[in-house]
Amino acid sequence: MRPFWAVFNRELLSYFYSPLAYVILAAFLVLNGGIFYLILQVLNTPQAPHGAVLKAFFGGTLYYWMYMLFIAPAITMRLLSEEKRSGTIESLMTAPVTEGQVVLGKYFASLSFYAFLWLFTVVYVFIVAAYSAVDPWPILTGYLGILLHGGLFLSAGLLASAFSKNQIIAFVWAFALLMALFTLGFLYQIVGAPGAKAFFEYATLWEQMDTFGKGILDTRPVVYSVSLTALFLFAAAQVLRLRQWR
Amino acid sequence: MIDVRALTKVYVDKPAVDAVSFFVKEGEVVGFLGPNGAGKSTTLRMMTGFLPPTSGEVLIGGVPMHRDPLKAKRLIGYMPENAALYPEMRVAEYLRFRAMLAGGGRAELRKAVPQVLEECFIGDVAETVIGSLSKGYRQRVALAGALVHRPKVIILDEPTIGMDPAQIVKIRELIRGLGRERTVLLSTHILPEAEAVSDRVLVIDHGRILAQDSPANLRAALKGRNTYLVTLKAGPKAVAETFAGVPGMLQAAETRRTESEVSLRLEAEKERDLREPLFTLCVREGLTLLELREDTLSMEDIFLRLTTEDETTKEAVA
Repeated sequence: MRPFWAVFNRELLSYFYSPLAYVILAAFLVLNGGIFYLILQVLNTPQAPHGAVLKAFFGGTLYYWMYMLFIAPAITMRLLSEEKRSGTIESLMTAPVTEGQVVLGKYFASLSFYAFLWLFTVVYVFIVAAYSAVDPWPILTGYLGILLHGGLFLSAGLLASAFSKNQIIAFVWAFALLMALFTLGFLYQIVGAPGAKAFFEYATLWEQMDTFGKGILDTRPVVYSVSLTALFLFAAAQVLRLRQWR
Repeated sequence: MIDVRALTKVYVDKPAVDAVSFFVKEGEVVGFLGPNGAGKSTTLRMMTGFLPPTSGEVLIGGVPMHRDPLKAKRLIGYMPENAALYPEMRVAEYLRFRAMLAGGGRAELRKAVPQVLEECFIGDVAETVIGSLSKGYRQRVALAGALVHRPKVIILDEPTIGMDPAQIVKIRELIRGLGRERTVLLSTHILPEAEAVSDRVLVIDHGRILAQDSPANLRAALKGRNTYLVTLKAGPKAVAETFAGVPGMLQAAETRRTESEVSLRLEAEKERDLREPLFTLCVREGLTLLELREDTLSMEDIFLRLTTEDETTKEAVA
């Protein structure tokens, strides 16, 4: 366990040592603040669609997906590629650690940073609560959905980072991978076979997020995210093992 | 302590390391010597478990590196060639990370980090951000990172690159000191360094071990002739022929002449000591002898002979 904690601590600390973290944090807060304001404005108009403010905030807008697709690769692009570029991978992997410990340590550090970003949005819950009644259950499942999808996106980003020693290339790979995951959701509208249709419907990220936002705790999207995350992390550890490509 | 058996690494049909075998005893300091691109780093990377070998085996303290990597790696402190570090971290923070990575607990960290800071002369920069340190300091931080968990086997790839001469002397002392209790293998392309710190040197080129012995024994094995360097007070006549007549002399040549001095290089048969005959000759001929010195082979000569000469020389020492 010690190597895991060593990697986790170091990685989490280095987020806060790097300017990128503050840029991401600032962009995230400005964007989210703006979106929250817009949602409030729209829902305040008489012809507004019926719905709770926070449900719309948690994945109910296109903006949510736009910055999820950008921010996850930005958080993870450095994780393994920078170790390869600078050569620190050599002293890291010749220490008595397993590839799994390194991958998990880095993954959970990125997940913690991601959770830290969302922690600020709890303020919005209190703002809404100050003016109207808030049902706590959809908020909890909403945050669970954000954590699960975030975790999935970050694991894909970590895998992309294992492929290249160039951060920008890692970013582009991650973005492409996430776009593919996201696009999977459109397929259910075009495939005809009922089985395939059901499968792709089940894999549609925004449908999943919509369910979470309603306060429904469905195990299927949980299993979907967790198993894909595990697959990506496993793949990242395998890529790290093939380091003679270097 | 280190047992390398027929270690081979082939990159697309071209062997970078070709059946390298050697053994390092506990407490020995061994220099791994070779020109750039000879296969030193590749060998070290396979020994430390960073690269898988194409074939062959590495045993560290009896533990096979590629079958039980965690156990074998625990015994090793390795400093890679480029001494790559995390520029955003502080020195002490980095060393705590390295100690924890090697499995050290809090109690051990509290003791080990200050100790290694002192050993590597970096106590004054303990709270400095690594990115702002000079190359010499970074090199010592990387060395400290390899030593912090008190490994039994220390493997250093070009440890003194980028240091100034005063630091180099200190680091060499440190390495010699490490060799008292622990086993050290250090690679270098700097010959005096190998000679200054090692009990034994392994000479490698084109992925093969060409020789392994103490510097003194290598010197004796490779020496072909006795060479004397003589300086005389300058006289009117040429003196080279006078010396050429000494029994056992193979070659005598003037190497330098100034207004006041003449220097000569004399080569004699290997078994013959010509120092006394040379002195008597000078007295008889009325030459004023300013200097008479036997020229021993330097590590540079040994190295050049091993890496450039024909196979017969190599066989003589192998």
